[in-house]
Amino acid sequence: MLVLATLTVVPGIYLALTALTPLNLANPATAWNFEDPLGNFRSMLEDPSFLHSVKVQAHLSAASVVLQLLIGLAVALLLHTSTRIRDVARSLLLIPMVLPPIVVGIVWLALFTVDISPIHRGLAWLGMPVGPLLTNPSSALWAVVLAGTWQNFPFAMLMSLAALQMVPASPLEAARIDGASAWQVFLHVRLPFIAPTLVVAGLFMLIDSVKAFPLIFIMTDGGPGNVTEVTNYYVYRQAFSFSLWGYASSIAITLVAAVFLLSYAIDRLTSRLDKTQGSLS
Amino acid sequence: MMTRASSPSPQAVRPLRKLHARRIGDAFTIVLTLAVLFPFFWLIQVSFRPNEDIFGSDILFSPTLEHYRALWKGNFPGSFINSIVTSVSATVLAMLIGVPAAYALSRAQFRASRGIRMWILVTRMAPPVAFTIPLFIAFKFMQLHDTRIGLIIVYLTFSLALVIWMMKPFFDAVPTALEEAAAIDGCSTWRAFFSVTLPLTAPGLAATAVICFIQAWNDFFFALILTRTQASTAPVAIVGFIQYAGWEWGRMAAAGTLVMAPVVIFAILVRRYLVHGLAAGSIKG
Repeated sequence: MLVLATLTVVPGIYLALTALTPLNLANPATAWNFEDPLGNFRSMLEDPSFLHSVKVQAHLSAASVVLQLLIGLAVALLLHTSTRIRDVARSLLLIPMVLPPIVVGIVWLALFTVDISPIHRGLAWLGMPVGPLLTNPSSALWAVVLAGTWQNFPFAMLMSLAALQMVPASPLEAARIDGASAWQVFLHVRLPFIAPTLVVAGLFMLIDSVKAFPLIFIMTDGGPGNVTEVTNYYVYRQAFSFSLWGYASSIAITLVAAVFLLSYAIDRLTSRLDKTQGSLS
Repeated sequence: MMTRASSPSPQAVRPLRKLHARRIGDAFTIVLTLAVLFPFFWLIQVSFRPNEDIFGSDILFSPTLEHYRALWKGNFPGSFINSIVTSVSATVLAMLIGVPAAYALSRAQFRASRGIRMWILVTRMAPPVAFTIPLFIAFKFMQLHDTRIGLIIVYLTFSLALVIWMMKPFFDAVPTALEEAAAIDGCSTWRAFFSVTLPLTAPGLAATAVICFIQAWNDFFFALILTRTQASTAPVAIVGFIQYAGWEWGRMAAAGTLVMAPVVIFAILVRRYLVHGLAAGSIKG
C-alpha cells in the first residue's frame, strides 16, 4: 500500500507543482520558478492548438461513446437469447477488447492503406472505390473512431448483456401478453431497466476515450495536420517532443481534474445503482 | 368456446415462427462474428504469407515462416522477453500484495474504505500522461529509466489497484460463517484464509491475474516513454519497425501476431471468469 501511495501521490504533487512553473528541460533554471504560478493556465486558454485539441477530443469522445454504445447494445440484444452458437459468439467477440492497442493500430493502419487493404480492394471491386481515409483531413478522425469502436464495443456489449440479464421476467411477460411488439417491449420495458447501467458504461467509455493514445500514435501521429491531435496527444507532444514540461503538466492537471469529476460521477451513480438494484432483488 | 376454437392457429404458428427467428438470429450471429473478427484473422494470415504476394487475396498460398525467422534474428526476442518478465513479475507481485489487502478491506470495515475506493478509481482513470511526466524525471534521477525494475514498479502500481478493486467483491461473496466454522474446527485465521476462503474465490483469482497480466502486457505508453533500448517491451519494438525499417508489413504482422498470442490464449482459457471479472471490475465498487 505504501508503494502504491508513493507512486501515485508523489507524482501527483510533483505534477501540481510543475504545472505552476514554466519548466523547460532545455533551460534548467526554469525548474522551480514560481514567479508566475498561473501563467501556464493563462496561456492554455490563449493557445489555439490546445483549444483545437479539446475540440478534437470532444468529437472523438462523443462519436466513439455513441457508436460503441449503439453497436454494443445492438449486438447484446442479438446475443441475449442463449443458443449454442450465440454463446460461442459471446466469447469470440471479446477478442478485440483484449488485444494490445498497438496491434489494433497496426491492423487498422494496414486496412486503411489503399493499395494493400482487402477492404479497399473489395469496395473498388464493387464499384465503390474509396480514397485513403487516414490521410484525408475530413475522414481521418472517423477512421480512428472506427478502429477504436472495433476494439472497444465488446465492453458496451458485456455491460448491456449483464444488464439485460438482470431485467426481471414478469414485466416482460406482462407486456407480451398485452400484445406489445418486440420493439415496444424493448423501448418501454427493457430500456428503462438497463438505462442506468448504460449511463455508467458510457461514462467509463468516455474516460477511456480521453486516454486514447496508441491508436492515434500508430495510425495518424496526430495528423494530417493536427486534425486527430486529441488533448492527451497534445500533452505528450508538448512534454516529450518540445520539452515544455511545465506547460504540459498544467494541461495534464486539467485533464486529471476533468477525469476526476467523471470518476466522481461514476462513483455516485454506481452506489445509487447498487441501492436501487438491492431494493429490486 | 368458439373464440377459443379459432385461436389454436396462432398458437401453433408461434413456435414455428420462433424457431425461424432463432435460425435467422443464429445465421446473423455467425456472419457478424466473422465480420468482426476479420481484421484479426487477416493479420495472422499476412504474417505467414511470403513477401512476394504478401497482400494477395488468394486463399491458397504456401505458408512461410520467413517473417518469424527475420524477427528471431533481430532485437525482437529481447523485447519480447522484457515484456514477459515485466508483465509476469508485476502480476505476481500485485497478486501477492493485493489479494490479502482486498481480503482485509472486505472483512474489516475501515472508515477509509470509501476513500481507498475513490483513490483506486482515480488511479485507474487518470490519463497515463499525467503520471509519466513526473515519473520520467524521477526515474532519470533514480536511474530507473530504461530498466525492467522501473517498468515493473509502474505496472505493479496499476495492477495493485486493479487487484484490490476486483478481488474485494469476490471476498464479499464468501460468507463469514464458513470462516467461523473453520475457526471453531481449530483453524487459525491464516489457515482459514488459505484453505477455505481462497479456494472459493479461485475463479476470481484467475480472472484477476489474467486481467492484470493483459493490462501490463498491452501497455504501450509507459514503455514508450520510460524505456529506450535496454528494457523496451514488445509493443514498443513493433513501432520501431514502422519508424526505422520502412514498411515491413510482413515482419510487423508476425510481431503483432506474437504479441497478441498470449493475451488471446489467456483470454480464451479463462473466458467465462473473464466476463464475470470485467463486468464486476468495472461496475461494482
